[in-house]
Amino acid sequence: MGTLRRALMAAATTAGAAALTIGGLAGSAGAQEVTTGILWGNMNTVTQDLLNRAADDGNNFLMTHGNYHQTRFYPNRQINTLNVRHLHPAWIFQTDVMESMETAPVVINGVMYVTTSFDHVYALNARTGEQIWEYKHKMGPITTYCCGPNNRGVAAYGDMIYVGTLDSKLVALEAKTGKLVWQSQIADPELGYSETMAPTAVDGKILIGTTGGEYGIRGFVKAFDAKTGKLLWTFNTTAENSQGVWATTDATGRDLHRDIAAEKAAYAKNGDPYKTLGGGVWQNPSVDLATRRIYFVVGNPSPDLDGAPRPGDNLYTDSLVSVDLDTGKYVCHFQYVPHDLWDMDAVSATVLVDVKDKDGNVVPGVLHGEKTGHIYVNSRKDCSLIRFSEAMVPQENMWTLPTKEGARMLPGANGGVEWSPMATDPNLGLVYAVNLHQPMNYFVESAPYPSGKLWLGGAFKTIPTEEQWGNVTAVDYNTGKIRWQVKTQQPMIGGIMATAGGLVFTGEGNGLFKAYDSATGAELWRFQAGAGVNAPPSSYTVDGKQYVVVAAGGNTQMDYKRGNNVIAFTLP
Amino acid sequence: MTLPRASLILVVLGSMLAAPATGRADDVEQKAAICVACHGDKGVPINPNIPIIWGQNEGYIYLELRDLKLGNRKSDVMGPIAATLEKQDMIDLAAYFAAKPWPELEQPSPPRDVVKRAEQAINAAVCQSCHLDHWQGNSTTPRVGGQQHEYLRATMAAFRDGTRANNPWMTALLKTYSDQDIDALAAYLAAAQ
Ligand code: HEC
Ligand code: HEC
Repeated sequence: MGTLRRALMAAATTAGAAALTIGGLAGSAGAQEVTTGILWGNMNTVTQDLLNRAADDGNNFLMTHGNYHQTRFYPNRQINTLNVRHLHPAWIFQTDVMESMETAPVVINGVMYVTTSFDHVYALNARTGEQIWEYKHKMGPITTYCCGPNNRGVAAYGDMIYVGTLDSKLVALEAKTGKLVWQSQIADPELGYSETMAPTAVDGKILIGTTGGEYGIRGFVKAFDAKTGKLLWTFNTTAENSQGVWATTDATGRDLHRDIAAEKAAYAKNGDPYKTLGGGVWQNPSVDLATRRIYFVVGNPSPDLDGAPRPGDNLYTDSLVSVDLDTGKYVCHFQYVPHDLWDMDAVSATVLVDVKDKDGNVVPGVLHGEKTGHIYVNSRKDCSLIRFSEAMVPQENMWTLPTKEGARMLPGANGGVEWSPMATDPNLGLVYAVNLHQPMNYFVESAPYPSGKLWLGGAFKTIPTEEQWGNVTAVDYNTGKIRWQVKTQQPMIGGIMATAGGLVFTGEGNGLFKAYDSATGAELWRFQAGAGVNAPPSSYTVDGKQYVVVAAGGNTQMDYKRGNNVIAFTLP
Repeated sequence: MTLPRASLILVVLGSMLAAPATGRADDVEQKAAICVACHGDKGVPINPNIPIIWGQNEGYIYLELRDLKLGNRKSDVMGPIAATLEKQDMIDLAAYFAAKPWPELEQPSPPRDVVKRAEQAINAAVCQSCHLDHWQGNSTTPRVGGQQHEYLRATMAAFRDGTRANNPWMTALLKTYSDQDIDALAAYLAAAQ
């Protein structure tokens, strides 16, 4: 996925174990109202029923992308277009780790869970920002990751909190205390596997993918037993027959300039490259409980820029994939970019909404914002393409082949949309994405598989003389037309949230956190956070008061100013 | 890379490596005793061609031993030594040496023009994005600040001409640099603290 320029890992110096347990607090909740009025009743257990109804839950923010359909639409309208100008910080929490923050806060009955780079997990009082506990992952000696030591958040289920770690473990913590319950090794970090995504919890299973598309891994989505950490199923994201249909164009019909005859000869000679073909998964799958299917997208093939070692379409890289929730068995797929040579992959989270098909019938759809700069609208039934949106960013010289000297193409390798999750407003029929415009040259340089070391097969480099910028874009998913678009000073990375108050919230690398009118794109409010706001916002309500919360920790990959703050906003 | 005293030392090593193993901790001490012969008993290598491994990053030490054993990284000196190590030995040795203090060699700062050349080369590739602001690296990325001058020069040249073939990315990167750039980088990094 990532354009690897900033695998920066600031030594995270941290104080001794901050093991302030909630056990003591909960016991005397009545007596110590001022400092510990955190939990009401015993409503800490996250039931499946609570999760199923997350989309209508006006109190909690139960998963990193709001609900199983990952709409990032928060149904409370207390903060709205009329009063948002009065929004101000309610509290600021400072973590121990001054490094890139990509965490999407999860809030359950007044307790917030956030994560940091290097896999610290915090439970906070969502009213005051006070720390309840901190878990510091004891990192194994070997970690391999392309794009910063990031973590995108937790999953909550039952009485537990789940997080993936850079040394490729799935960790289960007691929600009340942060105590380690179990940890399972997901894959071997020595071979380039690492975890930065948040897990998804559903029906006793914890679902998680893997990073490593820059290291010649074989990608996957795995399901673990929520209670025991036992592996339940694995879906490999590279198919044993990865050659596909030898497509000559991408999903939008553009010529990929492939030499199919040469590829077929190489395939016949060297066999299928599936074992080191990459195919990382960067974001949570969406879950369709009605059909018991999950939908996720698969990242780039390895090596990123060199197609020689991997003839064929490289299934299921750069694809939408659906598998059965209970068995992990393949249901359907749709490839956006066959035989990708530009890291133009699929990394943002899928969103499930009902959409109009070509005949105007309303059908179950799935949306994905691709690095190509298009939002693709597919059928949930068979993964087929219904439409793709107008391009949200400039596209030039697509698909010019990478060369030894470097070939210019737009979008740059960070794409039109990075891992940043989108949001939707079902009432307006709009999907919101944050975009990057970064002109780059693409270089190819062949190298054999280096046993788990960085394997780009070349390089992508920004062109210093060309301007870069970002967009916030609203697209009508029933037509594919752009409804409104707002330019930002810098390329955007982090994600966006929509609310029933007619607002979308999103942050920028320069520290600005903004609210826009979701119908028109008019800017209604802004706040300077002092460090890059490059994480997805969340919203929640406690004691009848709505808050919006976001992390301001900057970004390694884009080298946006680092910080360590979690900031919650509310109305006076 | 030729090492004047290597062959002599290897004779001594043969007998040490054959020594029977006792407990794990003893075992590491014993295995590490072999390394001391070249990498130094206070962490200062006996020869300018030999890298500092005291205080080097744990993941990196392990991966290099693995690569030296596999032959992905070729070395007439280290290859045979790594070949005798099992995976657990490598993990233990990596933890053992990573926990030691990095020796400060106090290598002199190069002249202004060399510093300038090095800084240009560094800025063009943003080397610190991986090796970090103070060149101390992390996990599987090595510390390079304060490393032996001659070793740095030799290993970067080896990356560039492909004789050190265990990281295609560093090879691709260093291919864009001249001999003079590499000399300047080695001098600059050796003096960096
Ligand atoms: C006979 C001398 C000698 C002995 C004994 C020796 N080494 Fe080495 N070591 C070298 C030399 C020379 C190099 C540089 C190899 C090259 O780059 O060609 C090296 C390189 C290394 C490296 C790579 C460091 C880097 O910065 O990339 C590691 C790790 C290492 N040795 C560990 C060990 C360990 C552990 C032992 C003991 C089991 C050991 N060495 C014993 C001479 C020795
Ligand atoms: C993408 C991250 C990255 C960047 C950028 C990078 N390096 Fe490296 N470097 C590494 C890794 C990882 C290794 C370990 C190589 C291996 O796998 O053995 C390494 C190894 C080295 C070594 C060998 C150290 C030893 O002990 O043998 C030197 C010297 C070095 N790099 C210098 C540089 C310089 C100078 C630059 C900038 C011109 C640079 N690096 C840029 C990741 C990077």
